[in-house]
Amino acid sequence: MPSVTAVSENLEKEGPIIEIHFSISQELEKKYKEEGKPVPKPIATRALIDTGASACVVKKEIPQALGLEPIGVIKISTPSHKDIECYQYFMRMVIPVQGIAYQGPFIAAALEEQNINSLIGRDILANGILIYIGYMNQFTFSLL
Amino acid sequence: MVKNILAKELETYEENKQRLLSESQGKFVLIRGGDIINVFDTYSDAVKVGIDKFGNTPFLVKKIVEFEEKQNFTSNLIKKESICLQ
Repeated sequence: MPSVTAVSENLEKEGPIIEIHFSISQELEKKYKEEGKPVPKPIATRALIDTGASACVVKKEIPQALGLEPIGVIKISTPSHKDIECYQYFMRMVIPVQGIAYQGPFIAAALEEQNINSLIGRDILANGILIYIGYMNQFTFSLL
Repeated sequence: MVKNILAKELETYEENKQRLLSESQGKFVLIRGGDIINVFDTYSDAVKVGIDKFGNTPFLVKKIVEFEEKQNFTSNLIKKESICLQ
């Protein structure tokens, strides 16, 4: 099982943040190539591993930049508001150095400006392991 | 009023919901416009067929359930003005 281990001086303040790339799904990439269409380049960004998020979220500008169309609508609730309807996009997320990849639905939403453009939620964690060693400012994330 | 790109697909789902529930509860339906394309055992299978048939155009993949599932977030990282449909 590939894994990433990171040390962050600001782990307590910021939470477990990893560098990731977003791209179109493998199936859509294959179709684009068959049709001779250009494949959009992956978008590099930062994601917070958020055990308080039941599903993955991506800043809505990212699927827009990849030119993706939605394939679902879902309602979300947060402490301050509930039943907001958001689009879902089928996307591929890769942690490049370790080769960790996940493909699935991401909810597009507006995120607070904290230099975080994605939340990795429990739908991904359901397929992995998260070890948080607070006193060492270190965490490890593994995905099947 | 924000326009929902998938409004027609959601309308189609609602019109056929009772039949889908009786025949395929818990499975995933692929809908394009007013057409129900097929029902699948997994979300991924439905999406893959949707991409194969329709490419990068709007289509709906939805789990067939009586009560809609909602996603919950315990932090306030998602903005209050996050009216996401546009």
